[in-house]
Amino acid sequence: MLPQRSRLSVLVFLLPPLALYGIAVLLPIFQSLFLSFFDWDGISPMLFVGLDNYVRMFTGDTVFWIAFRNTLGYVVICLVLQLGGALIVASLLTLLRRGREVVKTLYILPAVISTVAIAFLFQRIYSLDPEGLINQVLEFVGLGNLQQAWLSDVSTVLVAVSVPEGWRFTGLYMLIIYAALLAVPTELEEAAKLDGASWWQTFWRIRFPYIRPVWITTTIIATTNALRGFDIPYLLTNGGPGQSSELLTTYMYKTAFTSTNYGYASAISVFVVVECLAAVGLIFLLLRRKADA
Amino acid sequence: MDIRRTITGVIVALIVIVQVYPLAWLFITSVRTEQDFAGGNPFALPTEVTFDNYARAFATGNLGLNILNSFIVTVGSIVVIVFLGMMGAYALQVLGFRFSKLVRALFLIGIIVPVQVALVPLFVDYAAVNLLDTYQSIIIPLAGFALPTSIYLFSSFYEYIPGEIYEAASLDGAGPYRIFGQITLPLSVNTMVTVAMVNSIFIWNDFIFANTFVLTDDLKTIPLGLQNYIGAMGKVDWTATFAAVCVSITPLLLVFLVLNKAMTYSLASGATKG
Repeated sequence: MLPQRSRLSVLVFLLPPLALYGIAVLLPIFQSLFLSFFDWDGISPMLFVGLDNYVRMFTGDTVFWIAFRNTLGYVVICLVLQLGGALIVASLLTLLRRGREVVKTLYILPAVISTVAIAFLFQRIYSLDPEGLINQVLEFVGLGNLQQAWLSDVSTVLVAVSVPEGWRFTGLYMLIIYAALLAVPTELEEAAKLDGASWWQTFWRIRFPYIRPVWITTTIIATTNALRGFDIPYLLTNGGPGQSSELLTTYMYKTAFTSTNYGYASAISVFVVVECLAAVGLIFLLLRRKADA
Repeated sequence: MDIRRTITGVIVALIVIVQVYPLAWLFITSVRTEQDFAGGNPFALPTEVTFDNYARAFATGNLGLNILNSFIVTVGSIVVIVFLGMMGAYALQVLGFRFSKLVRALFLIGIIVPVQVALVPLFVDYAAVNLLDTYQSIIIPLAGFALPTSIYLFSSFYEYIPGEIYEAASLDGAGPYRIFGQITLPLSVNTMVTVAMVNSIFIWNDFIFANTFVLTDDLKTIPLGLQNYIGAMGKVDWTATFAAVCVSITPLLLVFLVLNKAMTYSLASGATKG
């Protein structure tokens, strides 16, 4: 603390950032909560409906539950691709003697591309007519009978919209985990090897526990990012066919800006916020407890 | 031992190829002729290289204007994020005050909460104060949601500025404003660069705020401009679209490759601090 600070100087520095943050983030959260108790289309007078929006959401709206289930699926697929992929590639990378920098740069490149560009790209990769990259590859290796329109098939579409999101950010998480792995003291690993531990044992007993704090942080970032996933499913399929790739976020967006049902959309927003807070809390609890055990 | 290393090398190379191939394919397709693209093998090199696709891309869309808009939004947001982030961190970390813990916790919310929660309220607010369809309407939420990470990055750097420096300056009679301008600000340059780089990628690529708050073609940023390529032509002109996509990602890609080291470092530190 500065000895000569005055109350005024604190305010001068704190108020501008706090004001912007208040307008852009805090106020909207409270407004969403407020609007969620109303029935409102943005034009006619607002109608107070109490908890009706929430009652409808939890008991009367099948689309909401489909979207919730899809969101969970989307998060799981993203996490497996991003964190699993990141851990594997980062571990392999520590074994390499040359070319680490090149691999890092190339691997993170997709993170620089906009979601709209990615959506265009994957639309062509998945398409059947004209034949897209995946279907061409299948034909090429003699599995032509597996060809299909990945984005119009109800059973594949959720995976198909999740994969680009996983692909996009796996490089970022790989960088973080790689940096953590480099920080593991080599003496520990060498001692374990001298005691006859296999690579696998060293990895799970020494390396992984050592990077656990970073792993927890990365898991939290990846989960909250996946829970707010929106762009790619919205652009690729707009939730379709039917509701088979509808996420809570795309459903909220359409409820707000296509059906202009601001009240109900706000109730869904509030649910998404609670869900994110709950997810972060849960990750902390689960991963912390394991660390203590 | 050497064999294992070679195998590892090969596996890593394969993973990298799969990871990067879609991007390479994008660039290759953008210089293919349409016939070559329609009938061709995706792994073959183009039979002839053509830049007609780029000409068509510029002719159909408004790419120049879109890039300009993205540039204005990105620079505007970055300036706000860097300066307000620095001020916030200075108040929280260097000046310090009684409720600073509470304020920090408040900023943490912005990191966890999904941005979609702000869409409906901001749309309603903007409509009330006539801010819809302006640069500010995109800059405000982009900067607001990026501010917490920026503040955390700056304050974790300010932790390492030794208190003696400030005490000495205070003894010389410097007040909080002069100390900020003459000590803290000049020392923060590296962190400023980090904050700017982390955010420039996400802001340049922002889709959701621009898509919600921009209504006319005049203010469309690059991601929105790209979207026009599907609607405008009914039947999609894929090679021209891919050319447009390439144009849109090239500025950022170049910056990224030139500043590679600093950028990867920034991304990693930005993400973990966030």
